[in-house]
Order: sequence, then structure tokens, then C-alpha cells
Amino acid sequence: MVNATKGLLISCDIPMAQFIINLNATRPASQKFIIHVLDNTHIFVQPHMAEMIRSAIAEFRDLNSYEKPA
Amino acid sequence: MAGHGEKNRPTKRHKSSAKEDHHRNASAVEEDHYFGEEIDEDARDADKEGKKRDFTKLELKPDHANRPLWACADGRIFLETFSTLYKQAYDFLIAIAEPVCRPESMHEYNLTPHSLYAAVSVGLDTDTIVNVLNKLSKTKLPKDMKDFIYASTANYGKVKLVLKKNRYFVESPFPEVLKTLLKDEAISRARISSEGSHGNDSFTICKTMGDIPSGHDELLDGIESAAAAEEKETHSFEIDPSQVENVKERCLPNHLNFPMLEEYDFRNDTVNPDLNMELKPQAQPRPYQEKSLSKMFGNGRARSGIIVLPCGAGKSLVGVSAACRIRKSCLCLATNAVSVDQWAFQFKLWSTIREDQICRFTSDSKERFRGNAGVVVTTYNMVAFGGKRSEESEKIIEEIRNREWGLLLMDEVHVVPAHMFRKVISITKSHCKLGLTATLVREDERITDLNFLIGPKLYEANWLDLVKGGFIANVQCAEVWCPMTKEFFAEYLKKENSKRKQALYVMNPNKFRACEFLIRFHEQQRGDKIIVFADNLFALTEYAMKLRKPMIYGATSHSERTSILEKFKLSRDVNTIFLSKVGDNSIDIPEANVIIQISSHAGSRRQEAQRLGRILRAKGRLQDRMAGGKEEYNAFFYSLVSTDTQEMYYSTKRQQFLIDQGYSFKVITSLPPPDSGADLSYHSRDDQMQLLNKVLNAGDDMVGLEQLEEDADDIALQKARRTMGSMSAMSGASGMVYMEYNTGKGKHSGQGQAKSKPKDPSKRHFLFKKRFT
Repeated sequence: MVNATKGLLISCDIPMAQFIINLNATRPASQKFIIHVLDNTHIFVQPHMAEMIRSAIAEFRDLNSYEKPA
Repeated sequence: MAGHGEKNRPTKRHKSSAKEDHHRNASAVEEDHYFGEEIDEDARDADKEGKKRDFTKLELKPDHANRPLWACADGRIFLETFSTLYKQAYDFLIAIAEPVCRPESMHEYNLTPHSLYAAVSVGLDTDTIVNVLNKLSKTKLPKDMKDFIYASTANYGKVKLVLKKNRYFVESPFPEVLKTLLKDEAISRARISSEGSHGNDSFTICKTMGDIPSGHDELLDGIESAAAAEEKETHSFEIDPSQVENVKERCLPNHLNFPMLEEYDFRNDTVNPDLNMELKPQAQPRPYQEKSLSKMFGNGRARSGIIVLPCGAGKSLVGVSAACRIRKSCLCLATNAVSVDQWAFQFKLWSTIREDQICRFTSDSKERFRGNAGVVVTTYNMVAFGGKRSEESEKIIEEIRNREWGLLLMDEVHVVPAHMFRKVISITKSHCKLGLTATLVREDERITDLNFLIGPKLYEANWLDLVKGGFIANVQCAEVWCPMTKEFFAEYLKKENSKRKQALYVMNPNKFRACEFLIRFHEQQRGDKIIVFADNLFALTEYAMKLRKPMIYGATSHSERTSILEKFKLSRDVNTIFLSKVGDNSIDIPEANVIIQISSHAGSRRQEAQRLGRILRAKGRLQDRMAGGKEEYNAFFYSLVSTDTQEMYYSTKRQQFLIDQGYSFKVITSLPPPDSGADLSYHSRDDQMQLLNKVLNAGDDMVGLEQLEEDADDIALQKARRTMGSMSAMSGASGMVYMEYNTGKGKHSGQGQAKSKPKDPSKRHFLFKKRFT
């Protein structure tokens, strides 16, 4: 019996995939969002999570970039 | 910078639209500069800011195209480097303003009270500053700027502290100023009244030659320069030598605000014996060295101050020349034993000083000082050390203390913390102090202390001009982006590994491969000499072992260091060495022309610049190096960075100083090339996993940073650092501290018993300093 699940396919580079997996792992069981890790660069997640993941990544990147103060 | 450059051009837009436009601009600027703050601050602030940045009212002079400067009311000055007057304008600006950013075609400077103090102390007076600035500016000089210059310089340079025949005099052309000073209790107490005159308000009057016109006058009318050369009348009173420090302090801007200039009339000093040394004829100072010396000896006396030249531009020749001009006893302070040797060598190389007139005083070699004048080279630590010394060094230190030095020469002044300076300066009596450095930046803003401890900045060279002149190497800077491997990044993200983050991003296999590739490429294809820098000791040992290259770190003994460096210089088989941060400063390795940096000290701009300095010494033939020569770049600086990690943050921060000097960093993303498979290490996943296990299983102490006593910047850096070192390092029990003295020594026991004991107790952990001395 084939089961269809609606979701979001994320394709990204290897480190970012790890970041998303780690993000998923740190959340409590009820809030896990990854449906399936397809390979190193592709992840299938629940459909409404796009914004959350985006902002988490943006925050992470901000931490790692330096801006010259005035 | 470009953004502001745009705005100081007058626009002829309709008023309301211009205003609106301007508002938008102002908020854009806010966003650029005060990130993290709310953009929509209250409108008043924005308006005020806006007024400062609104330059529409400034009138362009009709012949503005021929003038090189844009002067803004907020004290900032922009200089067009393509102007025909660039050279003159640069010399002038560097004397009166602080360089902020100096890229190729447009320089930014800032007028500050300190920079104006420096200007006055090299002999420029207020009117000259305003007049020349006005001549060079494309617009009429803003009133705010004029007011600022007058207000800042009103009191500067009015009072001089002069050591004449071993008596300290406070000297001024203005008797009223001296009277003001004497109203201060501390100063009047310090005064020594000469026998003849009893009244408090009579001063000794003498005539001295005015300043020798210093080049800027050619821009002025002839009358003024003639006036400057006329004789001036000066008034003076004598003060008690033991009170000099107090008097100086009372005169600082936060008290009486008459900062004193210190000058040494060495030609008329008959008390201290002359030292018979001269520059050898083959020592030809380069134009910028000449210029920096002329700032120091502008009026026949020696001024105290700091000279800033890039590494490799020949700071030591400047130091030796200064000593040769003063021709009195000279105390030369360096940061470590290796550079003490180098300074002693430089003195012998450039000057006619006799072998017995120069001695080194370090924990290893305690040469006694003979004769009545000479040069002593030692380290800051040796002089400032507070604990008990051996009998032998106690005697030498006593001699240093009792002697009156003509010149106190201080190398790498930026590394020495202020309290140590105070100590050194209070211990040694010197007539004139000269500080040398390449990087007048510290993460802990303590640089301004130097202004008063040593003196103002006398000269600062422009790096790019020296590159163009072929005086220093033309360096290609590159940032190599190495993506983290899947496994390493997964571990990096885990919370429990937060202490190992650094070890993980440094040991990133992709980074290792890039490093190996670069070493191979430069060794085999170009025959270069390579230095690899790693602050992380764990990484340093792993890399060096795997690639089978020699390495030097804190615990490496002096003799072993020397032998490795010797091999690196001479042998054709040793083309790569690994250095920890002991190699950052003043290890002179002229042969090296490639630097690969695999890990670094957080966001320290100074370290980046100092490391670059290791390869700046010019190489090859001059004509090849000049613009359009055979080799556009002859030195390479690679910084390997693991992407998506904290290292990216630090890396950008570290580059700021060099970027401000006009360097640009090229980003390389495809190293090693994808087709290089198993040639390089850690190709297979198994190897990578083994490496990962090693990193994860290494003790906390192992993965931390190496601790050296010389790290004065550390305190300030911790604020910028997101993760601290290991727990044990924070509690002061880091194993690295002990490694400095314990390991290494056992292994090299054959090198004489001198090595078996901790030699210099000042290098110990502070808790144990007082033990077993």
C-alpha cells in the first residue's frame, strides 16, 4: 500500500544538511520535522518548516560573519 | 568609505528632494556603521548626524581639480592618491592626522587630538597646519575643523621638557604658560630655584634656533618659512629629576592640559661619555627611513616618539641610525632572546661599533658591560622582572639602573603591556625614547597609553607606497575556503563538543589537504620557502608529524630553534617549517616567501599583520619587483578557513588591519583541485574517521590554545571570542603552561645543564612566580 506524504524537499550543501539534521536532533520528539534524509545533500521535511529553517540558518550564518564596526 | 566620498560632492538638486534623499542616505549610513542598533533612531539624532554629513554648503574652490584633499567638518580628510600633489600632501597628512584606511586611490584620515599633539611635537605650529590644510583642500576649510585644530593645539607644544647637562628643565617660549604651570602645587614643589634669582617669576632666558623648516613650508609663502628659521627666545626653570614623572603627569590633558614635549640636546651633553660609533658607508637609509629619522631629529635635538614601519621595511636600520646619531650609551629592548641576538647582529652589521662595546643580557647570555659607554641589548622581561634574580644578573641590572642612557630603543612596542612599560621606564633613566613597531593596533585600545609613556607617533609609512617602490615584497593575500566534511561538521555542531570546536575546524580534513597541496605546489613548482602557522598546538603537532616537517613552539629550546631556523635558511632539503605563535614576532626569516596559516589567535588583527610581516622583506631583483616587472607577486599569504564555522568570523576580523593598509584578499574556493585524489592525505573516509576520533579523544588540555607569557592581548580578546578555552585552562591549570618548562628539557638534556632548570622565572605561571627563585 503506497502512502503519500506532503512535504518539502530541501537541497543544500553537505555542511548545511548536517546543520539541519542537528537542528532537528536538538528539538523535542514532538517537534521533529525531518521526514527522511535522502542523501548527503537532500532532505525531505514537513511542509510548514521552511521559514523556521531559513531563519535558523540565517542566524547561524550571522554568528559566523564579521561586520566592521563604525 | 566610498559611500562618504560620494556625499561630499556638492549637489545642485532641488532643496526638498535633496533633503529627502539625504535622509535616506543618512539612514543607510546608520545601517552600515551601527549594525545592531535600531535603524530608526529618533529623528533628532539622525538630523544632527545628517548635518555633519551634509556638505552641500561647502564651496568648491575654482581650481579644485589641482588640489588633492576633501576636508570634512567632522575631522575626516580624504586624499586622492592620483593627484600630482599626493607625495607632499601625504607627508603632511601623516604628520597631522591618523590614517584610517589607505586603499589604492583614496585615503581616509582622521584628525584627533592625539594626532595633532604628534604634529605639534614634530615642529608644526597651529597656523601652519591650518594654512597648509587650506591650501590642499578642494573646498574652503570648514569652520568646525579650524576651530577643532585651534582648540586642540592651543596648549600643545608650548612646554618642553629638556635634559641639559643632566638637569631637567621645563622650557617654553611663553613665560605666562610657565607661570600657570607653577601655580600647580606639585610642579612648584618640584622646581629647583637657581641661586641668582629669588623671585618666583623670573625664568632663565636663552636663545635657541627655531625649527629647521620641515618641507611643508615649501607649500607656504616664503615669508613664513623665513620667520620659522629665526631665533626664538625661550624661558625655562629647572625641576628636580626625581619629580619628573609627577610633573609630566600633571601636565597631561586630564590635568593642566599642557602636554610636554621631551627633547634631548645630545650635542651639548658633555656629562655622558660619547660612544664612538658611526654608520658604515654601505648602510644607505632608504628615503622613508631618512624621513622618519628627520622627524626625530628635526631641530638638532632628539625627540621621543614612535616610528611605525611595516615589518621587513628595515626598522632595525632606523634604530641603529638613531643610536649612531645620538652617539651615547644605548639600551635596546626586544621581545625575546632570538630578537636580542638579531639586534646585536644588526648593530654590528650597520655600525662601526666595536665588539666589546655591545653586550647582550638575556637569561642565557649575561655579558658584562665594560667601558664607559656602549650598547646593551636585552628583553623587556629581563628589565621589568620583579622577583629575585641571580647574583650575576642583579649586578647587571643594577648597572642598567644606575646608568644614564642616551637612547632607549624599544622594539615591537605594541606587544608590551602598559604596566610593564611604566616599570621599564621608571627603572631606566633615559634621555630619549624611540619606539619601533609595524602594527600600532591592539584589541584592547591600550595603544593610546603609548602616546604619553613614550611619545607621539613621529612617522608612519604607507605600505602600498613601499610595495610600489620595491622596498617590501608584493604579497598576494588569499583566503582559502575549505568546506567542512560531513562528519566533522556534524561533530562541530554538537553541544557537547563546544570546547573542541576549534580543534574540529582546524583539523578539518579538507583543510589538511589544501595545506598539503599548497606546500607541495610551492616546494616543487616554485622552489619557495614556506612557513606554516598554527596556534593550536594539537593541530601543529598533527600536521607537522603527518607531513614530516620540523616545527617550533613554546617549549622548543633556544638552541633547537636556532638550529631548525639555520637549516631552513641554508639547507635545500628543509623548505617548510611549522611555527606556533612564538614565530609571530621578530623572528627574522628573510628566506621565507610563503605563509600558510592553518589556525590563528581568534580575531587578532595584529597577529595577522605580524605574520604577514614575516614574508615582507623584499626578495629577488629590484627591477623584477617594480610595477610591470617580471614577477607581479613574489610572496604569498594563504589563510586556510573552514567555511560555516566561527573561523569565518575571525578571519574577516583579522584581515581588517591589512585591508586598511590597502591589501585585498582573494578568495579561493577550489583547493585542492577536485582531481587530486589519493595523492594527498585523508582521502578515504576511513582515514578521516580515524582523524576525527583522534580529535575527539584528545584531552581537553591538548586542544586548547598555546599559552605564552607574551600574550598581553589575551584579556581583551576573550571578549571577542565566543568560546573559551578548556575548563582546565580557565582554572589556570592548563597543561600547556607546564609543557613550556617540563617537556623538551628532558629530551635535550645533552645540551648542557643550563637547560635543566627553569631559567627565567618571569615566564612562569603567576601563581608560581615566587617559588624556588
